[in-house]
Parts: sequence; C-alpha cells; structure tokens
Amino acid sequence: MTVSPCVVVSALLALVGMPVTLAAQEELPNVVSSPASNAVEVRIGAVLASNSGKEFDARLASLHRQFDTLFPYSSYRLVKEERQRVPWGGKVGFDIPGGRYVMVIPKEFKNERVSMKVMVIEGSRPIVDTFLSLRNHGTFLVGGPRQHEGVLILSIGADMLP
Amino acid sequence: MRAVALHGTRCQSCETELRQIERVQELVNHTMHARADSIDLSDFWSGVESRLGTIRPSWRERLQMWWSEGDHRWVIRVPALAAAAAVALFAVWLFARAPEPTTQPDAPRIAAVDNAATIESLESDVDSVAVVSDPETRTTVLWVSDETPVGGDVP
Repeated sequence: MTVSPCVVVSALLALVGMPVTLAAQEELPNVVSSPASNAVEVRIGAVLASNSGKEFDARLASLHRQFDTLFPYSSYRLVKEERQRVPWGGKVGFDIPGGRYVMVIPKEFKNERVSMKVMVIEGSRPIVDTFLSLRNHGTFLVGGPRQHEGVLILSIGADMLP
Repeated sequence: MRAVALHGTRCQSCETELRQIERVQELVNHTMHARADSIDLSDFWSGVESRLGTIRPSWRERLQMWWSEGDHRWVIRVPALAAAAAVALFAVWLFARAPEPTTQPDAPRIAAVDNAATIESLESDVDSVAVVSDPETRTTVLWVSDETPVGGDVP
C-alpha cells in the first residue's frame, strides 16, 4: 500500500492541530494563472455628452483631458456611476440610461492586465460584444449610443482587490 | 639733580656754562624748526598712500576684518528668512495647482494610468464600430454609430 506525501503531511498537521485544508492548498499546483485575489471590482460610469450648454460635471474632473481631446461635445454630465465586486469568471451587470445594459465578465489577471468580456446590450441586440485586456486600474471608453440630445459615453474599468 | 641746581646758584663759572648750553639748545631748536618748516610735505601722504595701495589684504582677511568689526547676525537671518519664505510660497503654489478633488471619492481615475486596451475580439450589431486609440491620453475608445431609433432616444 502506498501512501502519498500529501496524506502524510495532512495527518501530521491534523495531529498538531492545524487545518488540513491549508496543507491541501499548498499541495495544489498553481493552476490559476492570475488572480492575486479572488475577486475584482468592476466600475462603470455613464456620461451624457451633448452640445447643449457648457456644463462639465465636477465628478468627471479626471476625465477632462480625455473628453476634451477625444470628443467634440461641450457638455458632459455623469448620470450614473456604480461599482460591483465580482469573482473571477463571474458575471456582473449594470443598467444604464436608455434601457441599455452592460455586462462584464472578468476572466483573468495576467501581466498586470485584467482580461474581460464586455457586452453592451440595447434592447435585445448587442451593440458591443468584445473581449479585451486592460491594465489594472485602467479605464476604456465606449461611446456613441444616442441619448436624448446627445450621446452616451461609458467608462468601464476594473481594479484588482488587495 | 637738586645738588647740581644748588651748585649752579653758587658757582659763577658753572652757571655761565649752563646758560651757554641752554643758548646752544635754543639755537639748535630754532634751526631745526626752521628747516622742518621749509620742507614741502604736500605730496608726502599721497606717496605713502600709493605704496600702501599695493599691499592689499586678501579677500578672506578682509571678510574676517569686516565680520569682526560689528554685529552681522542679519547676514544669516535674512537669507534664512528668505529661504523659508520661498519654501512657503512653493508649497502654496503646489497646493494651488493641484486639481480639485471630485465630489465623489470613487470617481474614475483614468488620467494617471495607462488606459490603452488590447482588444482581442469585437462584434457588434450596429451599423459601424470604430476603435479609437489615442496615444496622447493613452485611451482606447469603442465608438458605435447606429441610426436605428431606439427607446433611449425618446425623452
């Protein structure tokens, strides 16, 4: 009868009162390529951009340069901001203005980048269905969906949890 | 000295000799003063001064002399106060140029990080999708363009 080293170590740890699960975890190979933590925080912001007025929402101060450089609008108003914690491989959804819906599935964390699937759904059709990787704490923008007198710009990002 | 003076009052020859000596002293004195007065000393000091000018103390010696002459603590105080004022002004300038904090601490912070996304796949059900990657702001934008009216367009 052969006894695996794992069983021997587990038995010894049980004798000294340590949880066996700890030993089991140490024996497992590192099959997950990434996550330094078990969860990631996904954040989304919905900005209504238009040319009616010259308002710039103070909460968007950190995006001022990007908006000025990338978009031709004179008014930017943050209409929604939300964060949700989700486990790797889990699904998280956000309702955004116009009856639209954003779904994000973070897949893995590798080379300081978060890979994730992002879907922006309008009605029953996906207007964006993409798989991308983004640097930790980075943000990418999805713009263009029409909303009232302007367009909707979404900022989507992910932050690794410590 | 008193004995010599007392003898002079009693001895005629010594008194005569003493008077002659006094006379000689008076003549010598008068002659010397007359010669000294005749000497032109108007250029004397300028000559001396020109020679003194060639013997200048070193920069370090002059500094030491100047420092020992009086109370010069202000020389340390004034630059110290000026440096403190400069530091204070610099700190005020730093705080003044800092961006205003957003009203929500959790507001997106994309300016300080690399926001360039690597897109591995992209599908869409709209007329067109543009991928814009701006090197200046290191930001990736997916821009969808669709003319199909949707519920969101209706106020």
